[in-house]
Amino acid sequence: MPNPPHLQVPLRARCPSAALLTLLALAATSRAADWEMSLDTRLVSSDAGRSFMDGGLGATRYDRNDSGAQLGRARFALTASLGELWSAHLDAYAWDDKDRSPVGVTEAYLQFRPYPRAGYRFRLKAGAFYPPISLENRAAGWESPYTLSYSAINTWLAVEVRTIGLEGQLDWLGTRTGHDFDLGLTAGAFGWNEGAGVVLASDGFMLHDRQTPVFGRVGQPGAAPLGAVEPFQQFDGRAGGYAGVEGRWLDRVVLRVLRYDNRADPTAMDFVSGAIAWNTRFNSAGLRIESGTGWTAILQWLDGETLIAPPGMQLQWPFRAQFALLSKRFGRQTLSARYDRFEVETNVPDGDGWQIGHAFTAAWLFDADAHWRVALEWLRVRSYSYYRTEVAGPPLATETQLQLGVRYAFGSGVR
Amino acid sequence: MRPPARVRRSGCTARRAARVLALLAALGGRAGAVLPATLVIHVQTPDGHALAGAVVTVRPLDAPPRRPAPAHALMDQVNRAFAPDLLVIPVGSTVAFPNSDSVSHQIYSFSAAKRFQLPLYRGKPYPPVQFDQSGVITLGCNIHDDMLAYLLVTDAPYFGRTDAQGAWSTDVPRGRYRVSVWHPRLRESEADLERELTVGDADRADLQLRLLKSLQPAPITDRPHSWDY
Repeated sequence: MPNPPHLQVPLRARCPSAALLTLLALAATSRAADWEMSLDTRLVSSDAGRSFMDGGLGATRYDRNDSGAQLGRARFALTASLGELWSAHLDAYAWDDKDRSPVGVTEAYLQFRPYPRAGYRFRLKAGAFYPPISLENRAAGWESPYTLSYSAINTWLAVEVRTIGLEGQLDWLGTRTGHDFDLGLTAGAFGWNEGAGVVLASDGFMLHDRQTPVFGRVGQPGAAPLGAVEPFQQFDGRAGGYAGVEGRWLDRVVLRVLRYDNRADPTAMDFVSGAIAWNTRFNSAGLRIESGTGWTAILQWLDGETLIAPPGMQLQWPFRAQFALLSKRFGRQTLSARYDRFEVETNVPDGDGWQIGHAFTAAWLFDADAHWRVALEWLRVRSYSYYRTEVAGPPLATETQLQLGVRYAFGSGVR
Repeated sequence: MRPPARVRRSGCTARRAARVLALLAALGGRAGAVLPATLVIHVQTPDGHALAGAVVTVRPLDAPPRRPAPAHALMDQVNRAFAPDLLVIPVGSTVAFPNSDSVSHQIYSFSAAKRFQLPLYRGKPYPPVQFDQSGVITLGCNIHDDMLAYLLVTDAPYFGRTDAQGAWSTDVPRGRYRVSVWHPRLRESEADLERELTVGDADRADLQLRLLKSLQPAPITDRPHSWDY
């Protein structure tokens, strides 16, 4: 089957924020820089269908051809103070040999952090970073400290959603002024996200831990049935935005609600690359509850749609997903279980992109010390995807992936 | 033979005690008003358990207030946490804030009793900060949001923290006193926990204070500091 026209996106080399990298390099030599490197290797056993990185419709990162030793990721992170109130942050990853460049930047931003005054705290971020949605990806490098593979919601954010722009956050620090709770407001404006939605409409929801580098690509050019796409593009001249509120009860409960709209013009097309602008908007909500005895419960909910409107038609893919995660820390060990549900609908006449499924994840993580972490994860995804019928496969698939991960981290901030 | 030093010292103490007793005898029966009595404060949670670590301050109501001598205290930053996370200091005291961590910290306070900020870069010492006004000062780090500590600056001549049994004691001259109790996780106002009592003829006065509302839950301490708070 040839690639649908909206998925044919030729490669374009882009330089990820050279100025910021130079700044970071300068800051790295200063006294106020913290850096960290880590290497995460995996032993994988998988019976999943062909991975999205190879043009397939598998819902996991590793498919049945990837069983054996794999590079989970290599990470380099830098946080540097630029004077007293500004800081620069960089997260760079190497994933595997399927990438265009061996190292990709997943987040790079400047942050302005004035001192809180009279119980209020303001923060400004500029650059490329994740919008404040996930309650699961709270560890360094936007990783999950509970499982190796992220939930379906947060995998999608890792693949297609990034703020390349500005974000302001205003917090009322009630817990610092004798109250039991804090309140926060956040708003962001961004560009370069016209491609967000294309992976959801083609692959559907997936569960893995691969974060698309900023200005990077998803998939392989020329791979069938799904080629490469670039989520981070700007050609319609419209900025997107989001706004959210956050409430916290002590250090135990976090509630986040956020409305996101990339405000892409669904009729816009980049005539050079052939890319179409995907208008993606969604509501998200999340609740995280932690106890003093090591228990954590996380619920996240996502509901939205993505649409394109090439001449003469309007194609829509409404999507929704939820997950519930329960985790318990026993000293250096963490046991977690998660249940995901996800669904992508469509009005495309042949049903392209229609997907429904659920997934179970169970993981054991052992932080031996500040440097070594061992992780074992079992993931089973059962999903019905209409696209699979077009590549002569059964639409219903049950995919199981078992991963053993060993990570070694070192750096100035790791002790 | 020269007597051992210990014997000589105890002989000296005995002589001094005899002199004090003679003086007390001369005062004729008024010894009770001069000798201090022991004041013991017991603090309990609403369900009757001992509350350790509560700050107790005691002010005399009869005598003119005597300010305690300023002190020099230290609050370190160790493993992305304040150590200790609570200091009680007399008005006019200074506190040094070193940074023993390998990462930088930015300490701030927006509390009315003292607004200040200190960028603590690695290995860069800062002059101690003086606290001239009484009150509770909440400290945070502008880089690590989960760091939290308190300074209680007091003008009370007697102060301290309850032990594991929820008790704190001090020797005070006989008279009337106002006793206050404070805790960082207190949910009721300090005024609700103020008591007046008279330390009379007995050698010991006890005061039992029970909180009306349960404390806020203690902060989660075993969460890795690298996690998003």
